Amino acid sequence: MDPLATCPLEVDGLIIDAIFYVLAAATLLSALAVVSCRNIFHSAIALSACLSIVAALFALLGADFLAASQLLVYVGGIMILMLFVIMLSQRPATVPLQRANSQWFWGLLLSGVIAWRLLLSFRQVFRFEGSRTPPVPTTIALGHLLMSDMLVPFEAISLVLLAALVGAVLFGQDLAENPPK
Amino acid sequence: MITEAFWRLWSVARFEAGTYFSHLFAALVALGTTHGVPAVAGSLGVMVVQVLMIVTAVALTTLFMVYAERKVSAGMQARLGPMETGPWGLLQCVADAIKLLFKEDVVPDSADHWLHVLAPMVVVAPVFVCFALIPFGKDLMLINLDTGILFIFAISGVSTIGILMAGWGSGNKYSMLGGIRAAGQLVSYEIPRVLSVVPLLMFYGSQSLQSIGSLQQQRLFGFLPKWFIFYPVIGQLSFVIFFISSVAEANRTPFDLPEAESELVAGFHTEFSGLKFALFFLAEYAYVFLAAAMAVALYFGAGDGFFMAWIPSWFWFLLKTWVLIFVILWLRWTFPRLRVDRLMQLCWQFLLPWALVNIVFTGVWILWRHAP
Amino acid sequence: MTLYHFLILSVLLFSIGLYGVLSRRNILSVLMSIELMFNAANINFVAFNYFRYPGQVWGMGFAIFVITLAAAEAVVGLSLILAGARHFGSSSTRPGTAPHD
Repeated sequence: MDPLATCPLEVDGLIIDAIFYVLAAATLLSALAVVSCRNIFHSAIALSACLSIVAALFALLGADFLAASQLLVYVGGIMILMLFVIMLSQRPATVPLQRANSQWFWGLLLSGVIAWRLLLSFRQVFRFEGSRTPPVPTTIALGHLLMSDMLVPFEAISLVLLAALVGAVLFGQDLAENPPK
Repeated sequence: MITEAFWRLWSVARFEAGTYFSHLFAALVALGTTHGVPAVAGSLGVMVVQVLMIVTAVALTTLFMVYAERKVSAGMQARLGPMETGPWGLLQCVADAIKLLFKEDVVPDSADHWLHVLAPMVVVAPVFVCFALIPFGKDLMLINLDTGILFIFAISGVSTIGILMAGWGSGNKYSMLGGIRAAGQLVSYEIPRVLSVVPLLMFYGSQSLQSIGSLQQQRLFGFLPKWFIFYPVIGQLSFVIFFISSVAEANRTPFDLPEAESELVAGFHTEFSGLKFALFFLAEYAYVFLAAAMAVALYFGAGDGFFMAWIPSWFWFLLKTWVLIFVILWLRWTFPRLRVDRLMQLCWQFLLPWALVNIVFTGVWILWRHAP
Repeated sequence: MTLYHFLILSVLLFSIGLYGVLSRRNILSVLMSIELMFNAANINFVAFNYFRYPGQVWGMGFAIFVITLAAAEAVVGLSLILAGARHFGSSSTRPGTAPHD
């Protein structure tokens, strides 16, 4: 039996909706901060916030294993590497306050048009879809899927990871200082 | 009638705090609904109370751990330690906490103000979330997530971001160096730490700390406890790797390079004072507590006692946790600090390969056990 | 909370990421914007999985692959950026600019 929680929270649709709107607004705000902060360290922090909130959205969609792996891989791995690279390649005192480059207007126009177009077509097709189902644990099902039907892509991904590892080591070494023997 | 119900509860539960809490909260919600409080509001209120209980308990435990650390280190160096404030100096840490709360909060001019404010919170908040998933005893657990262990690893990884924010946001090169060291160390040791638990997941087929703990509460030949630490080779290897990398994750000596005071002043928290410094301190000790509690839940049978069934499970759990905490304190006053290259060598050339080998061992064990 | 809500969210996230890729000067920021676009795709995968095929996990499986690929991409990208910063003294997307522009 569920410990301590003899009184399960009957979160009805209203509370779920409220949580969704708050999370969605936070996702979009932090994403905007990523592309508009002038200090690059601040945009990296905003990106980690954004990724954590996306993990919360995954949890809201019943993908518990995926939410945990998003946090573990993205926030605990990729983002820390990015902050690490920022710290290694820039100095806090002289961190460049970057502005948008000369094609910002066309970028804005293009992304706006694409967003508008996609929203229109989604509106026609998926306007009234969606029935909420109670989420169930997915870890075991995911494990079975990865080891049976998705086995080939799974192995392919591991090869890609190995190649990335070798590539990172190769690019990471300083050939000028340590020439290959 | 109430006394009769209470007596029945007593005869079932004995000293099991978890059972009492669940009955108490259920009764509170029921009482609320009879007085017109909506059930959702009642459950939400109970949740808030439970979260406050966890936060208070962890904060008090860390306060007491600081006292224990000072007394243990004093004992190992043939000193007395704090003796003045309160009996045996018991109130010393309370006094220190009060002092830290009232200290001036200094923010250097070159600091990044937003990061300087946010960093301690980002470091300390994830620890409390992790404690919601620890089964402190029978039924004494806030939430039983199906992805329990993975979730704890994922959440505690967020703290590293806070350390990097502190290192960058202080506008001080010592802090910056401490932050860079912390990032390298924490990312590296996260890998053997996660891999060391994989044998457990393979063995018990679950990620929930609750079910792993309850599966260990059986006896071999009627008396030998089936804790995971007692399984030959795989149990001990897995525990040693988990323990070493947990100590490294908590930035404790001999792995405290991010805050090595002889080289970096105090590392990433050099420029923090008052409440912000107290939060960093709290986070460090709470991570030690978390590491010990996780080790007990995963390897030492959670709330399982050797004998004497009348002793409640939460007592056994806390007892084993404190023994492990003592071992961690002991390590600090026994080993000198590692050099940076040795630190990375230990992680990548010793812990990681052996964690992988241990996974293979466990696979062979499971195949052999299921062999026809 | 319907499928449409999640699609709106992911479209907006995707276009924000696209704007970032097109308009940022620092190559690290470009990498971050690409991560935003990956996440928009992931939200779509999981939302379709949840609303259209409850009880199955194919969408989540694909999302796991996307996360893994993003990790590989970030690792190679970051090591390239570090090598580039060492070689050119800057991580700007425009060639021939002054260091730290």
